[in-house]
Amino acid sequence: MSKRIWQHPDIPVEETEITSWRSVGELEKSPAFQEHLEREFPKGSGHLSEEERESSRRGFLKLMGASSALSGLALVSCRRPESYIVPYKKAPEWVIPGKPLFYASTRPTAEGGVPLVVTTFEGRPTKLETNREHPDGGASDALTQASVLNLYDPNRSRIFLNKGKKSSRKAFSKALTGIAKEPGKIAILVGEDDSPTRNRLRDELRSAYPAAKFFSYEALRGAGRRTANNAVFGSGSDDGCEVTVDFEKADRILSLDCDFLGVDPHGSAVEFSKRRQGGGSDYKHNIAADKMNRLYMVETAFSLTGGMADHRLRSKPSEILLVAVEIARKIENADQLSAEAKKELNGITKNFEILDGGYFFGGNPKDFSAWVSECATDLLKNAGKSLVLAGSRHNEELQRLAIAMNKALEAYGAGAPLQGVQTGREGYGTLQDFQGFVGSDTTVFLLGPANPVYDTPGDEFEKALASAKQSIHLGLRTDATANACTWHVPAAHYLESWSDARSATGVYSLLQPMILPLYDGVSEIELLSQLLTWKDVDWAKVASGDEKAPLLISGEGPKGAASPAYNEVRSTFAEIGEEGDTAWKEALKNGFLAGSEYASADPGEVGDVTKPAETEGLEVNFLADASIWDGRYIDNGWLQEAPDPISKLSWDNAALVSPKTAKELGVYDAIQELEPESNFPIVGKVKNAPKPLIGEGGNARAPMAEITTSAGRMQVPVLVAFGHADDCISIAVGYGQGASDGRDGTVVAREKDPFAVVGLVGINAGFNANAIRGEGFSAKVEKVEKLKAKYPVALVQEHNAMNGRALAREVSTNEVNHHGHPRSFENQVKNVAKQGPVDSHAPENISLYKRKGSAWEDDEDKQADLISDKIHQWGMAIDLNTCLGCNACLVACQAENNIPIVGKEQVAMGREMHWIRMDRYFATPTYERDSHGDVAKENGTKNKIKVPAWVFENPEFVPQPVACMHCENAPCETVCPVNATVHTEEGLNAMAYNRCIGTRYCANNCPYKARRFNFFDYNKNNPLIDHNLYKGPFAEAKVGDAPHLQRNPNVSVRMRGVMEKCTYCVQRLESAKIKQKQIGRQKTLKAGAHSTAVAVSADDLRIKVDSVRTACQDACPTQAISFGNILDVKKSQVWWAKNTDHQQKDGNFAPNPRNYSVLQYVGTVPRTTYLARVKNPNQAMPDAKYRGLATIHTA
Amino acid sequence: MANFFPRWTNVLPLKIAICLGFAGAGVVVGFAYYATPKAQRVGYQPAQPIAYDHALHVGQLGLDCRYCHSFVEHSGQANIPSANTCWNCHQHVRKDSAKLAPLRRAYDKDFAGYDGEPLKWVRVHKNPDYVFFNHSAHVNRGVSCVSCHGKVNEMEVVFQAKSHSMGFCLDCHRSPENHLRPLEEVFNLDYDAEKYLTENEILDASGNRISTQKDLGKFLKAHWNIQSKDSCSTCHR
Repeated sequence: MSKRIWQHPDIPVEETEITSWRSVGELEKSPAFQEHLEREFPKGSGHLSEEERESSRRGFLKLMGASSALSGLALVSCRRPESYIVPYKKAPEWVIPGKPLFYASTRPTAEGGVPLVVTTFEGRPTKLETNREHPDGGASDALTQASVLNLYDPNRSRIFLNKGKKSSRKAFSKALTGIAKEPGKIAILVGEDDSPTRNRLRDELRSAYPAAKFFSYEALRGAGRRTANNAVFGSGSDDGCEVTVDFEKADRILSLDCDFLGVDPHGSAVEFSKRRQGGGSDYKHNIAADKMNRLYMVETAFSLTGGMADHRLRSKPSEILLVAVEIARKIENADQLSAEAKKELNGITKNFEILDGGYFFGGNPKDFSAWVSECATDLLKNAGKSLVLAGSRHNEELQRLAIAMNKALEAYGAGAPLQGVQTGREGYGTLQDFQGFVGSDTTVFLLGPANPVYDTPGDEFEKALASAKQSIHLGLRTDATANACTWHVPAAHYLESWSDARSATGVYSLLQPMILPLYDGVSEIELLSQLLTWKDVDWAKVASGDEKAPLLISGEGPKGAASPAYNEVRSTFAEIGEEGDTAWKEALKNGFLAGSEYASADPGEVGDVTKPAETEGLEVNFLADASIWDGRYIDNGWLQEAPDPISKLSWDNAALVSPKTAKELGVYDAIQELEPESNFPIVGKVKNAPKPLIGEGGNARAPMAEITTSAGRMQVPVLVAFGHADDCISIAVGYGQGASDGRDGTVVAREKDPFAVVGLVGINAGFNANAIRGEGFSAKVEKVEKLKAKYPVALVQEHNAMNGRALAREVSTNEVNHHGHPRSFENQVKNVAKQGPVDSHAPENISLYKRKGSAWEDDEDKQADLISDKIHQWGMAIDLNTCLGCNACLVACQAENNIPIVGKEQVAMGREMHWIRMDRYFATPTYERDSHGDVAKENGTKNKIKVPAWVFENPEFVPQPVACMHCENAPCETVCPVNATVHTEEGLNAMAYNRCIGTRYCANNCPYKARRFNFFDYNKNNPLIDHNLYKGPFAEAKVGDAPHLQRNPNVSVRMRGVMEKCTYCVQRLESAKIKQKQIGRQKTLKAGAHSTAVAVSADDLRIKVDSVRTACQDACPTQAISFGNILDVKKSQVWWAKNTDHQQKDGNFAPNPRNYSVLQYVGTVPRTTYLARVKNPNQAMPDAKYRGLATIHTA
Repeated sequence: MANFFPRWTNVLPLKIAICLGFAGAGVVVGFAYYATPKAQRVGYQPAQPIAYDHALHVGQLGLDCRYCHSFVEHSGQANIPSANTCWNCHQHVRKDSAKLAPLRRAYDKDFAGYDGEPLKWVRVHKNPDYVFFNHSAHVNRGVSCVSCHGKVNEMEVVFQAKSHSMGFCLDCHRSPENHLRPLEEVFNLDYDAEKYLTENEILDASGNRISTQKDLGKFLKAHWNIQSKDSCSTCHR
């Protein structure tokens, strides 16, 4: 019997016809994709291949043999095994077994420390939340969420290495002694995070060792940005000047390839999203269009920021500067500008010829001219409230131009959105300086998180390193740089060390250890501090044996004394803050020192900019990777498995090209088919891929190409990226650090080798783009050649594809003409509910779960319907207007809910376990409209006129996170044969794992495809070892002894064969409720009465409004997720997101017009609802009429 | 041809079938009884590293439960006391008793056999990993220790007194009135409702004096808004 196919209702005629798609397959209507839509899991994910069947049959026989042999033994010990409770000997203060403790700390990054509150269970840090008390807090991101896993990474370096061989702390201490005795020249290369303690130690080390010099390096920060900022805001090259952004004050934003909401953080995404909500993010008022910010984006490949943009121009990397110059020219011509500003801009623009730009708009230069001049006009009109951001990866010319434009727009200074600041990073040399400094008499310390041997272009760095007397690397991984150095010292994770950092606006923030170093790692501060103090050791006494030779201390000193890093941070704090314990304890509790921002710096002369050499033809654009950053997180399983937010590729990188370029390269059809052609050799092995192969199941193969630039050549799989600039290839850096399958251009790594450059997670992941990268982040392509080979890719864009009408909805602040009825923004918002075809006519749902009294129950309360709780009813609202699609929620959920990773092969088969699926759609109007708002037709014919190709090639990007919707009429519940998934009184769709027998009927019946099935024991057996999952009880367990320490003890670890899905973080809800239940005792004590005389009301038991947050909600950098008690009428944020305070005749409150339920016409009554996305296009722009219409219909 | 099988063999298959039927039924009945927590768990009484006597400490000396299980009102887990809790008294009381040697091995640095290894108490009450029982949610709402652990104050060696099966939990969650008592009496393991109600005057909502546990339970349930849930996520997460 075939499955019943839901007949989706028609799209209302008054809606604009939209083409929306997730993948090439969907756009081209491939039959394979259609099959995906109709299945609950991708075909093959629920089937065993021949090979699997064979191994499971053999495994079964083995198991039977083994168990019958053992049964004799087993009978003897029939009683349950003894288990033990081992309490502390001396209970530490504050620790209550079973209750978490929270500490404020900071994750240091080059973009400013990320303020955190760390959840620890009996000393184990398990989850990182943002510190909302901190001035720069309130937002998290995927990298931060996943950084806790790095602490427990089984591949973490834990052994001192000398020339690649195992060494010891003692031997290294001796070597360090040698340096302290006879220092010679010392070069110390650190990261670009701003640690005041390190800065202080730097000064002290420089006076102790006059020949010591400090340098800083981060792969993705861009030398151009550093040079330009230092030259304009400072006086020299190492002044450590930066610019901070305050989006609260920004009405208009022009981003020149700056992914400030994604991988190139500038300013606070929280503030940006507040302005995106047009005055107030608490949903108490509708969005005021005039208070909304507007974002213009010029970029090469789609970024998350580009996805939020109201207007977007796709441009090759070399042309971004040219487009920027055109906008600058228009700004320059404005009357309102001072002569000085005009002169400064002219100093730049005069060196450039006028750009035709017609090819951006299908050969119409007028449109281009209109685009740049209207953009410039809009920025000028809002001078003082508008700003220009240039991408960090771009050259100095673009940076200087952006500064000049900002000066002209009066964007700097108090009250303006930008502020030049003086950071504490002054006096650190650049990488070039480093390479020039190092000689044969130099000792090199590499302390930063970067991996320069891998990520610097060419081999100059390697040469410099090799020429040094000796080199010492401190790092969490034995990466390429560790292997190239004389010494490698295992580093302490930031959750294991004392340190400090400046957050984005310079607030002094503290790092405190949550746990002693698991693998005896050494922190940077500890190393520098001891290098400094050892200068004063009396070596004569050591030689004579009167004093003991010093041994490098880490974690804690002898007899439990504090780490030297603690004393150093205390000294710094005494300088910056106050002396004494009171202020210190206060700062430690808060995680920061209030009122300690950076000093401001005013911009000076921008200087002239000469035009860089022109680049013709195909270019390659190097991207920062949203998952692994510059490659430092390559061994982080959560991040590797989180699909790239744009390409939806997990575990790999690929060359992204626009459909047009793909066609020119001859790979478009190959990408679209995705069917394997067996005569092609396949790079890398994907075992157990089921056959026959369809769609993007385990058999998805991308065609390989070889790209040659002047710097080198690389082989890489090619994928189509919509909205990508033509004549250009984008590749994320950081991948391809080590491989065991002999892939081209990658260091050979052996699996389970403790000193390999990558561990089991990072091995065979992606291709090394640094091989073709010269200086900078774009290069001219000399040759690109399609190869015969194909490469298996784990693309998840089609997995669990939801099917229906008006899934994601969008409106525009501009008036939209619908069939002669002009519709204002307010009317469009009112109409959001009707975008889903029959939503407005759908009959009220009748609950199937009315309980008609039960045999055991004589209580009337219990006969009420199942959603009966009068105290708490949980609900969630996800605001698509501020959702970036960034994966922070997805990774936070993984950390909170013990979600396993499944490995590339399992992901390729559609077996990923993420409870949140980050859907992303591309969409564009299909047809042109005439002046009445009707579909335009060719003169006198019925042929509808399609939108121009440049509109179609630059579609809108719509992200939509989907997890279990907790439907009140949940289709999954009615089909479960064992009642493993049932409703709770509080409106949760509960999942009882121990009851589930794995029929998967529920997943089959879920219209949102939100359920995940444990096909294997992913939690117990390591999915990354080849064929390991199929070995059942004989499989190798998780490698390493620590990963289980990260687990949340309040969430069951699921086993093979059970279904799982979002629970609304029920463990958090229950603990909040239980805490509230103490109120009876508290009231009794307060009243001084007998407990029977004190009543406890429903209001007493209701938890404080919005006091419980789900993991995804807490992590969201734009606060797009509201969650809470929908019975907190006019109080909880989620109530406001779903309702307005306008009371209707029936006594109910009118719904928030922007709020809607996905697939409401199916009648599921989901508790998770969505708010429509709002675009704020500039009416005068040539592309304005195509924006803000992206309502997604997939059926 | 001779008859190989004598006549009585004709009924043999029937006899075998009946016997097998009884044997099968016996196995089923036996399994249904002996494989349940009621038979498997109740009475489990392992030997502990220190023969701690609850009857002595609680029953005779009158220690409150919360002296040792100090976080029971705050945490999900009713903690087993850390060694320093024992040592608070026993550094003065019967310090040299041979029974206390394991404690001193763990805690007393002056003790000859000191090795610093923490005490390993044998777990008596063990719920499966997927059950999240929370002590504080119960003791703060008028459910006494006795309801689940029995009269520990009379146990010389602790044993499991109740089955702790899911049915056991649900019995109470469906009818909490059988177990609710005033908060003051939660840790009083000798509490007797009838006796208590004759000694203390507790009036119900309509002003009548309560005299039975059932009425008291019903009154407290309404008075304290007790809504013991029986949906899955109450205990399984």
